[in-house]
Amino acid sequence: MDVIMPQLGETVAEGTVTRWYKKVGDAVKADETLFDVETDKVSTEIPAPASGVLAQILVQEGITAKVGARIAVIQESGAAVTTSAEPSVPAAAAERAAASTAPHPASSGFPRGGAAERLSPVVRKLCAEHALDPQQIAGTGRDGRITREDVLEYIATRGAPRPSALPSEPRAPQQPATAAAQSTISLTNVRRRTAEHVAKSWTTVPHVLQAMEADFHRIVEARRRMGEQWKQREGFALTYLPFIARAASIALAKFPHLNATFDGAQLKLHRRINLGIAVDLNFEGLVVPVVKDVPAKSLPQIAREINDLATRARAGRLKPDELTEATYTITNNGAFGTLFTAPIINAPQVAILSTDAVRKKPVVIEAPEGDSIAIRPVGMLAQTFDHRAVDGAYAAAFLREIKSVIEARDWIQALQA
Amino acid sequence: MDTSVKRKKATTPGIDIGRETRLELYRLQVELRYCEKRAYDLFLQNLVKGTSHLSLGQEAIAAAFGVAMRPDDWTFCTYRGHAHTLARGASMAGVLGELMGRECGLLGGKGGSMHLTDVTRGAMGSYAIIGAHLPVAAGAAWSAQYRGTEQVAVCFFGDGTTNIGAFHEALNFSAVWRLPVVFVCENNLYMEYTPIHAVTAVKNPAADRASAYGLESILIDGNDADEVYRTAVECMNRARKGGGPALIEAVTYRHSGHSRADPAKYRPEGELERWLERDPLNLYRTRLLHHGFTEGTLKDIEAEAMRKVDEATAVAKASPTPSLDGIEKNVWADGGAAWRN
Amino acid sequence: MAELTYRDAVAAGIAQEMARDERVVFLGEDVAAAGGVFKATVGLLEKFGPKRVRDCPISEQAILGAAMGAAMTGLRPIAEIMFSDFLAVCWDIVANEIAKTRYMTNGQITLPLVIRTANGAGSRFGAQHSQSVENWAMAVPGIKVVAPAFPADVKGLLAAAVRDPDPVLFFEQKSLYAMKGEVPDGECIDELGKAKVLRSGKDCTIVALAAMVHRALGAAEILEKQHGISCTVVDVRSLVPLDTRTILSEVVKTGRLVTVEENPRLCGWGAEIASIVADECFWDLDGPILRITTPHVPLPSADELEDHTIPSVERIVREIREKFD
Repeated sequence: MDVIMPQLGETVAEGTVTRWYKKVGDAVKADETLFDVETDKVSTEIPAPASGVLAQILVQEGITAKVGARIAVIQESGAAVTTSAEPSVPAAAAERAAASTAPHPASSGFPRGGAAERLSPVVRKLCAEHALDPQQIAGTGRDGRITREDVLEYIATRGAPRPSALPSEPRAPQQPATAAAQSTISLTNVRRRTAEHVAKSWTTVPHVLQAMEADFHRIVEARRRMGEQWKQREGFALTYLPFIARAASIALAKFPHLNATFDGAQLKLHRRINLGIAVDLNFEGLVVPVVKDVPAKSLPQIAREINDLATRARAGRLKPDELTEATYTITNNGAFGTLFTAPIINAPQVAILSTDAVRKKPVVIEAPEGDSIAIRPVGMLAQTFDHRAVDGAYAAAFLREIKSVIEARDWIQALQA
Repeated sequence: MDTSVKRKKATTPGIDIGRETRLELYRLQVELRYCEKRAYDLFLQNLVKGTSHLSLGQEAIAAAFGVAMRPDDWTFCTYRGHAHTLARGASMAGVLGELMGRECGLLGGKGGSMHLTDVTRGAMGSYAIIGAHLPVAAGAAWSAQYRGTEQVAVCFFGDGTTNIGAFHEALNFSAVWRLPVVFVCENNLYMEYTPIHAVTAVKNPAADRASAYGLESILIDGNDADEVYRTAVECMNRARKGGGPALIEAVTYRHSGHSRADPAKYRPEGELERWLERDPLNLYRTRLLHHGFTEGTLKDIEAEAMRKVDEATAVAKASPTPSLDGIEKNVWADGGAAWRN
Repeated sequence: MAELTYRDAVAAGIAQEMARDERVVFLGEDVAAAGGVFKATVGLLEKFGPKRVRDCPISEQAILGAAMGAAMTGLRPIAEIMFSDFLAVCWDIVANEIAKTRYMTNGQITLPLVIRTANGAGSRFGAQHSQSVENWAMAVPGIKVVAPAFPADVKGLLAAAVRDPDPVLFFEQKSLYAMKGEVPDGECIDELGKAKVLRSGKDCTIVALAAMVHRALGAAEILEKQHGISCTVVDVRSLVPLDTRTILSEVVKTGRLVTVEENPRLCGWGAEIASIVADECFWDLDGPILRITTPHVPLPSADELEDHTIPSVERIVREIREKFD
């Protein structure tokens, strides 16, 4: 049966095969991971649609194919092999695949499932010397070939966790050790796509920034009281982000024009409130996984989901539908101590919220008996909005709503939900 | 075929060949003949390998020049060079040893029959590519001219050489630079297996070409040691004094084939017999007797020559084959053969 | 330091050696009165006189034969063969006589001579006057083979060649005659059998000779600045003796070998180096060896045709990029 390039995300038209887990001739079980595909920002494991033997690989690692294209052929147990007459990918890839239908002996030297099989003499030597299994080493050479540098780097970092960059992109060419003052870095796929997206947003959407300070003392108190327990129970720390997400979802329910997408002519209000949470990938790009239907989820659920999404985002293990259908985005740079940020809107959404550092500050407390100064944890809420969709008054009122939720809600109770 | 030879130029009658010189001339011819015959015998015993080009019948030329040349003069000859090398005083054991591929060979078994050399005797090499050594001889002559010595280079070659490009280049070059080099064409009437007249545009392959280089045409009887001697002395002396090169054609005949591989069946009926009558050794022997030398003297010379050849043969036979580590020696002046580090 | 052209460095090298040693003499066609057809020997006749600097007839066999005869009898001649293509005319003297005589005579004869010749393409002279034939010489045991790329190397290696007791074939590249370079003042003496590393990189080792050295350097610059491929460039300078130590150690550092050869494809000098590397550096290679050569054709003469046939900087860059990760 044919293995087809899946539809990954509603606007995705093609994907790049980045890794084959099986070689031609290997046995395959249905649902077993067969290959990885990379689209815009995510790499996805694709399971085998059937059991049998992998008869043909039509799209090699590193090659991009359209959605719906034939990627491979599995000879199902008992079924006859049907070889392709007209491959839908470049002829060279198809010829290579056709030639490798029968498994070759290990010593044949012909390239098999991918360039990852071709080990140069120095790579063989290093692997032998260090007792390495080349299957464990990521290849960054052409067509995924394992280069000498790959092995040396593997040896140097052995024991460290796997690199968290999205897998199997052709790495930027090596920089010379004796480079002059200037050096050149090519963009990774992720960065390139981010660049295109933000440039488009920036140049088409009229951005307006508004900011408001909020007193986070109730959230801080909740974190102080429940944080230790939480960490022990859940295995990760409780950050400000889930609280802000909850506050935002409450405010968005009251200000539906900000929970919308705008195509330049029409504002589409969304019933569901799906929050995109911007995740930084170790300084190598951004992805925005989505927590869907936030109002329906408890604060702990939101916290867990945000943590899970962020972790998998950094490991490149998000599912395609986890990147879709956001109606509003939150970006959080607070960990670095920023005062505020003017984020770029994640078009076609109409607004984006940035939360920055929460810091102890002296504030004026007004009370009937008179004003006093107290030390409170204060953080800036900054929103940029699309001025075509809403006006400043509406946006400011929304911010005021978030602020009041942050400052007044019973967060401890919310955590116990 | 006409075996008599017309001399185109009379030699200076004034050069008197003394009795000692005459004996020397005879002794040398005899030694050359006996040694060469021995080489042939050793081949029949399978002790001489490869190929050899025998000069049986042509000894007068090598011997005459051998006596006439000074020790610091240079000889350049062809692959048919056993006699020329011996005539300069190279050891018989060295020559026979080289033919037999032994350690005592002049070249340690590295060169073989066609490349006999003994620079200590001024025998600057036997050359196996026709014509190649003519310009080399010119170069040696240039060295003498440059350094202002009175050395002369003498270059021996066959009739076939006169048709190759290097002959023409060397003669012209030497004439233009007035180099002290004497070119000696030993016309034995055959270029390998072909009669020379069938492949040469002129009757006398060297003598008729001398004028092309502004040189005197000299055609002599190569089987008459005295005539060769006188011509040699005259030409070399002229060269020493800055008179420039000479081209001598000495007509002779070889008794055996081109090489030992050649039974020489291409020679016309009776030709060999007629030339055998003009065997240079017999000619000279007769002349010596005519000049009053005794049979006894001549027999002593012959016996001594044979004794020397026997002694040399014994030495050569006793010498081991060369050590294998000679294979990678003496490509370079440092004695080694290294092309890389 | 002085700035000399490559051609002036030739004359300077010859002059240095002729001044130093009376036995050094110089002969060739049009070398004395005319100063050489490439004007590489201007001034030598005036400086050293007609006895030591001699014009010859068009007789390549006689010229080299005479050099050989003079060398074996006490002189140290430098002979010029005007175009290296003409070596074919006197190849017997080079390959059969000069190269072999010492060996055949078991060391009796020594030939301290130098044959200088103008090699290579780029001057639109056509197929019979544009060849690079140093690979022919490399293939014959008994001759040392040198091909300098810079004026300083010309002078120093020519001096080393003259002082060497063995026959040396000294290949000058005619398209380099006008190039200028720094040449140290005073006596210049280099060493045969020593390659030079002109540039260090991490991704591949380019080994080149003569005119191709400059193109390799140009290509290495582009590869680094525009394509992030950093190359070592080695100037071989001497084919025999060959500095295999330097070449092999530079290949081991990068794991990749590229040769840039002006010879036509088959049996160019790089083929031998590739085979040595494939043998002795096999376990250090991270990819196939790449030879960038002139295709296996006689050289065409029209500007565009000749330029496209000889390896150009652009082609070197392109072929390396195609073969690298």
